[in-house]
Amino acid sequence: MKKTYGALVVGAGVGGIRAALDLAETGQSVALIDKKPNIGGILTQLDYQFPNDHCGMCKMLPLTERDGSSQFCMRKGLFHRNIDIMLSTEVTALEGEPGKFMVTLRKRSAFVDPNKCIGCGKCSEVCPVKVKSDFNAGLTKRSAIYLPVPHNIPNHYVVDLDNCLRCWQCYNACPTGAIDFKFEERQGFHILVADSDPKTFEDMKDWLQDQNFPLRHVFDGDAAVDALADQSRQVRILFLDMGLPGSDPEKVLRRGLELNPDLHVVLMAQPDQEQAARELAGQGAKDVLLKPFEPKRFVPWLDKLYMRMMSDETLDLDVGAVILAGGFECYDPGEVGDVLGYGREPAVVTSVEFERMCSGTGPSNAKLIRPGDNKPIKKIAWLQCVGSRDLKKKADYCSSVCCMISIKEALLAKKLTKGEAETTIFYMDMRTFGKEYERYRQNAEANDGVKFVNARIHSVVPADQTSGSKDIKVLYLDEAGRLQEEVFDLLVLAVGARPPVGTKELAEALGIETNEWGYCKTRYFTPSRTSAYGIFAAGSYNGPKDIAETLIQSGAAALEASRIITIYAPLTERTPEPQPEYRNVSRETPKILIALCTSCPILEQTVDMDSLVARLGGLASVAQVAKIGSACTKPGWEEIEALADKHSPNRILIGACQPYAYIPKLRELGQTIGLNPALMDVVDIFTPTAARQGEDKGAVEREVFSALSMASVRLLGADPTPLPPATQVTRKALVVGGGLAGMTAAMGIADHGYAVSLVEEQETLGGQAMNIRYTLNDEDPVKFMEDLIDSVQKHPNITVYKDARVVLSSGRAGRFTSVIATDQGAVSFDHGATVLATGGREANVYDYGFRVHKCVMTQRELEDQLASGALDTSALSGVAMIQCWRSRDEGRSYCSRVCCGQALKNLLMLKKRNPELPVYVFYRDIMTYGFAETYYTQARKAGAVFIRYDLKDKPKVEFEDKVPVITARDPILQREIQVRPSLLVLSGGIEPNEVSDLQEMFGVEVNADGFFQEAEYKWRPVDFLKQRLFMCGLARAPGNMSETIASAKAAAQRAVRILSEMRLTSGSVIAEVRHSLCSLCGKCISVCPYGARSLDLEQDMILVDELLCQGCGACAAVCPNSASLLRGFRDQQVLSVIDAALNGLNYGRARAAEPETATQTEGGES
Amino acid sequence: MEEFEPTIVAFVCNWCTYTAADLAGTARMTQFPNVRLIRMMCTGMVDPKYVIKALLAGADAVLISGCHPGDCHYINGNYKARRRVKLLQEILTGFGIDTRRVKLTWVGASEGNEFAETVNHLVNEIRELGPIETRELMVV
Repeated sequence: MKKTYGALVVGAGVGGIRAALDLAETGQSVALIDKKPNIGGILTQLDYQFPNDHCGMCKMLPLTERDGSSQFCMRKGLFHRNIDIMLSTEVTALEGEPGKFMVTLRKRSAFVDPNKCIGCGKCSEVCPVKVKSDFNAGLTKRSAIYLPVPHNIPNHYVVDLDNCLRCWQCYNACPTGAIDFKFEERQGFHILVADSDPKTFEDMKDWLQDQNFPLRHVFDGDAAVDALADQSRQVRILFLDMGLPGSDPEKVLRRGLELNPDLHVVLMAQPDQEQAARELAGQGAKDVLLKPFEPKRFVPWLDKLYMRMMSDETLDLDVGAVILAGGFECYDPGEVGDVLGYGREPAVVTSVEFERMCSGTGPSNAKLIRPGDNKPIKKIAWLQCVGSRDLKKKADYCSSVCCMISIKEALLAKKLTKGEAETTIFYMDMRTFGKEYERYRQNAEANDGVKFVNARIHSVVPADQTSGSKDIKVLYLDEAGRLQEEVFDLLVLAVGARPPVGTKELAEALGIETNEWGYCKTRYFTPSRTSAYGIFAAGSYNGPKDIAETLIQSGAAALEASRIITIYAPLTERTPEPQPEYRNVSRETPKILIALCTSCPILEQTVDMDSLVARLGGLASVAQVAKIGSACTKPGWEEIEALADKHSPNRILIGACQPYAYIPKLRELGQTIGLNPALMDVVDIFTPTAARQGEDKGAVEREVFSALSMASVRLLGADPTPLPPATQVTRKALVVGGGLAGMTAAMGIADHGYAVSLVEEQETLGGQAMNIRYTLNDEDPVKFMEDLIDSVQKHPNITVYKDARVVLSSGRAGRFTSVIATDQGAVSFDHGATVLATGGREANVYDYGFRVHKCVMTQRELEDQLASGALDTSALSGVAMIQCWRSRDEGRSYCSRVCCGQALKNLLMLKKRNPELPVYVFYRDIMTYGFAETYYTQARKAGAVFIRYDLKDKPKVEFEDKVPVITARDPILQREIQVRPSLLVLSGGIEPNEVSDLQEMFGVEVNADGFFQEAEYKWRPVDFLKQRLFMCGLARAPGNMSETIASAKAAAQRAVRILSEMRLTSGSVIAEVRHSLCSLCGKCISVCPYGARSLDLEQDMILVDELLCQGCGACAAVCPNSASLLRGFRDQQVLSVIDAALNGLNYGRARAAEPETATQTEGGES
Repeated sequence: MEEFEPTIVAFVCNWCTYTAADLAGTARMTQFPNVRLIRMMCTGMVDPKYVIKALLAGADAVLISGCHPGDCHYINGNYKARRRVKLLQEILTGFGIDTRRVKLTWVGASEGNEFAETVNHLVNEIRELGPIETRELMVV
């Protein structure tokens, strides 16, 4: 059956997940596919992330309608009611146009029935294959039947058919018969051998006798055609000999494909016929086999071919838009032989391998020991730019993330060794260009003692060949050109990014262009659009990015996709899924149904089921205890539904395995039987039994009983009253700031049909972007801005207030009222979401003769003069540029990110106009991240001189006859140099605009540098902590026009998410107040991290904003009167769970306070 | 009399330690059966009365475990837990309860091994400490 989705997201790493969630939250249905058998992309392998050096993926999950998605660690898995996840799936073809694409997908089978696999691992134990584990970056081995990610849910084994030996041992070992090698089905799978040589057939028949295939033989072409036409025994595979008499092979092939387009034709050729066979293969034959065949290779080959043909699926989908989020691959230093001892020395590893070594799920359980000899690692070196910024490896780009990864890894090594590890990072430029990067680097250097050495390691040799020690000696030239050597325990190669494997094929299938490095091509002003309309690039698909920018890019892609779907296939045409209606059971006495899944044979082997059922039946309010087949299969689930129908319980408890996997099912069950899923629970009864097979039955039974009784009392105490009603949303947005970011965000929201008020302080729109006259990549920013301003002013949904300010804003989530002061008087505006895009400006520091001498100017002024032609480049004798002029320095610990690009842009323009003009650039680290690196290469080729300086030893500027004299120390020449240029150009960097009034009005915060503080650096990069408020542009962080556009679109998408629904509901775990007990002390208000609580002075009560509340329970713990409580975790629930927990554990000793009866009384209170 | 086997109640946060515990369970790492996991949304919601209740009702120790500092799903719940546990330990000392019986740790989602180690370590520690002798002191 053909399914229809709003969008298809290709790639389920964090970029793809973000795009999928963004769309799903606006009510669009999304198909999320990945070619790997697991979601999470590279993040499944990286446990620790800058800047807090831990994970935080769960912060991506939706904040409203939390019950519609999973509410647990995203490393375990993800589900959302609007997202269908399809793994091991790839796009093979695409047709149609935006709004109605027809996509063909190929889903590779895992050969394991997920409904039967219980994850016991017996198959993996018997598998004779051992190949490198992808999950552990090759540091450990795995079998051919394996768990892709050990901690994913659902956790089913998959068969890696490419490495499988077809020995069938796993098939025999599986206790539940979950492995499906389609043995019976082989009888209907006809194979025809067309060969005049009877031996070929006799051999095949002989070899394949265990394989259960019906084989037929014909001796000439005409007989082959007749056999192919026999519909009752339709041939699936045709072995066609090139030397067949009668009808020639070409005719047979053509006729065969006419009769059955899916016929798999294998051409058999003698070595001298190979050429002809290859030519024929182009006409529809799938394979060419050279005679003679080897049974050892032929039989598994045919078996695998059969498995793929029978088990792989082809899916056709109709989708409105396509988002590509294939991420990136890591460069493999082993691909071109010996790079710095990698592969030869066990002490040389890649950064991904090092991450695995630090991981708790890695090869050494987070112990830092060296692969090969298990020596504890104490002295580690990192080498940057392995496979990046390397012309020889055709990678003249910066991978953008490796510098930060290495600093993080150095800190991680310090942490794992309790500060003992000595860490040195060898680098070319430390690219700490992102928000908070520079401060992180400074702290690592100053507080944690990470050593930074500006040098390139050129070779790695064993430290001491005679002793057999695996230590290595690295050789490098220091900046002064002296040869240095140092011994290390480990060298980590900071490997760069490469476009994902298969990008070229996918690009061809979809008809999109790639850039010269093989990444998806996007334009500067449309950073999320590919060259094909309706197909968008998310995450790092158009160039390597860190997590925060990956998510921003994904948000932007989601906005574009959502716009396409809105325009071409409006949401209104589809009937939205109705909100489930649950019956009100608050007046019923609690009635619990307990269903125990017995699909796993281990449960009944380890536990006396009758006794368990009897004990469970004795629990308070348990009305029925039933054993069911297998809860994870459809019949099993129907059993539960039937039980629920028959007994109409108002609480349901299911004992099964992998509770996480049941969350969507409980939701469905709730809809079918009209019971709130908050009154249902699934308990893991499998883990205690599996881990303790062969132990005393009584002990295991106690464990299982205890787990179930704890859940049962918790359900008993659950609040059955319906959730608070949904909140009405005002479907309008306020955008503060009419620069590039503000206008882009306003357009994004307005294009979705929502009214936007755009407030700009100045008399004209445009902001800082109006100062940009040309770009590095020959785009026309002036025209772009003119067009954008024009579209904004003409847009029917946008009201522009120029020369205006927001003076007042108040209200609750989803319903704000703001007052805008304009020259026409005050205007009041109701809105549901707010985007703050207040921008920044070029920082001016009056130093180095700036504003004293005419020959000193900023990069922006130089750009202006170059663009207007006011500057005569031929009259110049030389130009000096000083980078990081007061950036990354005291009082401004951040990189302004755009200055290096701007300097290169002006430098290349100067050189274009006057190639002989000497240009000197004094720099600290050239921040040409991503594809901007190539302009740095061009600048050096053009003859510009780059001179590095240290913060300790800045260039000195004096003036002689109004000519600047710059004195600096050249680290390469190791001496002082002097330059007397006719122009001195300074890179001042970006400062955010002053926003203290907005801070107070909207209750938002700024970081130490004055930029807006996001809710989470990485995972919520455009959200304020206070919901419904979003940020973008320079007010968030410095960035070029392309990055500003991306962040504005991401912010707009977040706003659209709020506005897309008339009503928003909270999650089922939410704080409440028992007003009769409340003393209005206000402790809960100050403790709430989300500002969800407020004191209503008129009613004299504490109110909870059910949309802002995220259910953390901090208020419940702090309340001195137990007046504040958290649904699902009310005091009596938790207290009775504690009792049940201790009741179950009785190790034959008297307890001081005996709570035998507590369960009954406290549990019954609700 | 049988050898003393301690009973431990563990309040674990939904986002990090619960996942780690699940990982430890499914990965079949060695675990002592005498620990009862109680899933909370956040360590910041572990009311001191839950800890006292658990000790009163027969637990020999209480483990509270959540996300690492700076990593809390709810921004700062673990810091709240840290302050609260410190104070609680001091109060409980007044009732003759060793501070080791109320333990606070940070275990991230992928640190299943860390969780198993923490539990094993705590169980061994409490085995040496023996049962709580002064439980009746707490009953007012």
